[in-house]
Amino acid sequence: MTSTTGYVLYLVFALGAAGLYYLLPRTGASKTAIGATLGVSALVGLFVLLGAHGSAQRRDEVYFYLFAATAILAAVRVITHPKPVYSAIYFVAVVIAVAALLLLQEAEFLAVALVIIYAGAILVTYLFVIMLAQQPGSPIYDRRTREPFLAVVVGFVLMAMIAGRAGELPARAAEKAILADGGRNPASTASLLTGNTMAIGAAVTTKYVVALELSGVLLLISMVGAIALSRKQITSDVIRSPRRTLGQIGKEVEPF
Amino acid sequence: MTEAMGYVIVGAVLFALGLIGFLTRRNLIVIFLSTEVMFQGVVVNAAAFARFHHHLEGQAYALFLLVIAAVEAGLALGLVMLLYRRKDTLDADAWSQMRG
Repeated sequence: MTSTTGYVLYLVFALGAAGLYYLLPRTGASKTAIGATLGVSALVGLFVLLGAHGSAQRRDEVYFYLFAATAILAAVRVITHPKPVYSAIYFVAVVIAVAALLLLQEAEFLAVALVIIYAGAILVTYLFVIMLAQQPGSPIYDRRTREPFLAVVVGFVLMAMIAGRAGELPARAAEKAILADGGRNPASTASLLTGNTMAIGAAVTTKYVVALELSGVLLLISMVGAIALSRKQITSDVIRSPRRTLGQIGKEVEPF
Repeated sequence: MTEAMGYVIVGAVLFALGLIGFLTRRNLIVIFLSTEVMFQGVVVNAAAFARFHHHLEGQAYALFLLVIAAVEAGLALGLVMLLYRRKDTLDADAWSQMRG
């Protein structure tokens, strides 16, 4: 990547930062139209830059742009939507788009696992909590943000730094790795005899078996922790009071 | 450009968007949703580098990342419910008395 395109890339990210700043929820006059225009033009600029640097025309390139745009736009809506329920729904769109991006990179098992775990389990938990802790109307803390300017600057500086360095990835490393491995490419499903799922399963149960066991322990610990966090508080006088006969406790103790 | 470059940039954008959401939003639930967006960026990056280096380690790493995300969601939402029951609000600024 030449230095000129580097500066154009930084300009595109500055445009995106301005767009996101206007899109964040704010009190007073809404400037969503300006923000959306700036943000969409920044996204188009980013894709034009990426397309101009594309090596050969790939068959799946159009899908990459489609799902990358879906993921980024939905992620913007997750952090800018004033209603948490809609944020959660847009997050489902992020998950689906990311799963499609993983499919394009031949990580089939990971894509399916992502949809099942995120859209199926984690998002349902989030929606439950949103419904349980729903406040009537639109509370002030959903309509105002904290230090939007500084946060947008920090986020987009991080983004521009990573994106600026991403152009320096060596193009030849991949081919060298394949040649060193005797022409076999374990990350490509087509070159595997057994498919991606079996290869991941073999890697996880042999090379990473300790990590697998540890993650099981971690899940158990988090389950115990979540139960301990969400239990109801029982005051000490209820515990210390003398034993009551059956049916007595409902008359004396206030419900929690 | 290599093929991985586009994916790395998308991962960086998702991660930074999640970071911005984490820093600016005041609703506790949306704050934790933003961390999930950051996780998505990391998953995209891990898969991109797995393909770039032609081995499965990135994909295995992303699989363990899903475990961490599930653990984090369970604990964080338990904590959010606890805090909501204490003060009857989801505003993160209601818990700012420890600010220096």
